[in-house]
Amino acid sequence: MSNQNGGKAAGFQGKLVDRAFNVLGVLLFLAVWQSASMLNLFGPDFSASFSPVAAFSALGEMISSGELLHHSIPSIRRVLTSLFLAIIVALPIGVLVGYFKRVEQLTYVVFQFMRMISPLAWMPIAIIIFGVGDVSVTFLLWLVAIWPLILNTSHGAGRVSPLWVNMSRTMGAGDSGILRKVIIPAAVPDMLTGLRLAVGVSWIILVPAEMLGVPDGLGYFILDTRDRFRYDQLMATIMVIGAIGYLLDSGNRWLIRKFAWKI
Amino acid sequence: MSDNKEILISVRDVSKSYPKDRGAVQVLRKCTFDVMKNEFLVIVGPTGCGKSTLLKLIAGLEFPTSGTILLEGEPVKGPGADRGMIFQEYALLPWRTVLKNVELGFEFQGQDMDERRRQAEAMRYLEMVGLGYAANKHPVELSGGMKRRASLAMILAVRPKILLMDGAFNALDSKTKMTMHQEITNIWEVEKNTVVFVTSDLDEAVKLADRIIVLGRNGEIDAVLRNELPRPRLGSSARDIDFHHRFVAFREMVMNVIKKDAGMRTCPVA
Repeated sequence: MSNQNGGKAAGFQGKLVDRAFNVLGVLLFLAVWQSASMLNLFGPDFSASFSPVAAFSALGEMISSGELLHHSIPSIRRVLTSLFLAIIVALPIGVLVGYFKRVEQLTYVVFQFMRMISPLAWMPIAIIIFGVGDVSVTFLLWLVAIWPLILNTSHGAGRVSPLWVNMSRTMGAGDSGILRKVIIPAAVPDMLTGLRLAVGVSWIILVPAEMLGVPDGLGYFILDTRDRFRYDQLMATIMVIGAIGYLLDSGNRWLIRKFAWKI
Repeated sequence: MSDNKEILISVRDVSKSYPKDRGAVQVLRKCTFDVMKNEFLVIVGPTGCGKSTLLKLIAGLEFPTSGTILLEGEPVKGPGADRGMIFQEYALLPWRTVLKNVELGFEFQGQDMDERRRQAEAMRYLEMVGLGYAANKHPVELSGGMKRRASLAMILAVRPKILLMDGAFNALDSKTKMTMHQEITNIWEVEKNTVVFVTSDLDEAVKLADRIIVLGRNGEIDAVLRNELPRPRLGSSARDIDFHHRFVAFREMVMNVIKKDAGMRTCPVA
């Protein structure tokens, strides 16, 4: 009995210790950062405004002035819009590619080729076609998000056991029944993995994409703070970019925990 | 049980070969037999003799290289819900609970049932295979025997006229196997369906079969043996010494056909 209780307590304590180490890592990081700026490692002119203390006070200022929301919301909107459009296009393609061997053969070289091209390379073309602005940024983000979604979905749909399909057919299933009840649900874990990767790369590409002439967004704001010599705000913006990315990924991990079945 | 002489499935001169490297591998050779309505037919034979292939042909998942398979006089053109197949491997969908797996057939057939009736109906079949208590578990949480039962319930819920069972009870421990024999016999007697059962376990074959077809190494039919042992053959009746003698004698008879096919010396039938 005492053994069991001891075990439980140890389990709870163990979790607490795990979390404590997570927090400790963040504190250490901030400490190193602060010391580096106090030791003038970023150069005598900038070190003071590069420090976390300066960044946090700039962050407070940006929150109260409304600047933070003003630039975060368009960024999040662009990423979510492009993800939504990417999902609509990529999931059906991924299922087709994964399930039909011929479609996979048809598309393999082209897809592997396309996914290796940085979407920023398409930037001039995007601007010629869509002009400077929201549409171009969304297009570039879409272009980076579709590949992980297509490739992971097709991997998932390709893993569907022929046994499941045969069994379904002897249970009277038609093609659409097999698609809806077997192939798509079977691919859900891989779709979610694809989504997680897509969110990651979109968020990373967002910042340079927003440097292409849009009037708002976190990427734009980075350039803006630079031009105004507000390096404290620049550092604060970098922290916000990291924090939002972290939250998006956490949301994704939650989705995976909730909806991905495991064998 | 099979006094009924109505032919349900008619296998005529069926051969099947698969292309391989150079040439082809012949798995079935000129097989001809009938399956009667409400019969329990067991197919035995050495591994690789084409037993499973024969079931897949009847299921319509594959097609003969030559010959025909008629179902109630009509050639088999593809799979259908009238022929439920239980595969050697478990085919449960891992993301669904056991109950949801059993409901799958209703969903496929687009049966006009509300959620509650569907669940109740699926539950009835789970109870039938003694798995009602595991309705809300996922396949990953089940033991081998439970997975077999779940697959059985899943197929039974579709109410197929014909049950095609491919090594369905292989690799089960002997106690579970016995329970499954009892259950499949009960279900067959209650549901009045027809069973074509493939196995390499002769005890199992003799316990279950109305007739036993022995497939040879080369994919041809070596013998069709009628099993005259009275039913019930499980439980207390199996302890009767006279029954036991007859059981063993019949099993030896089947064994001898198999040994002869393998070119082995046969022992005299008791």
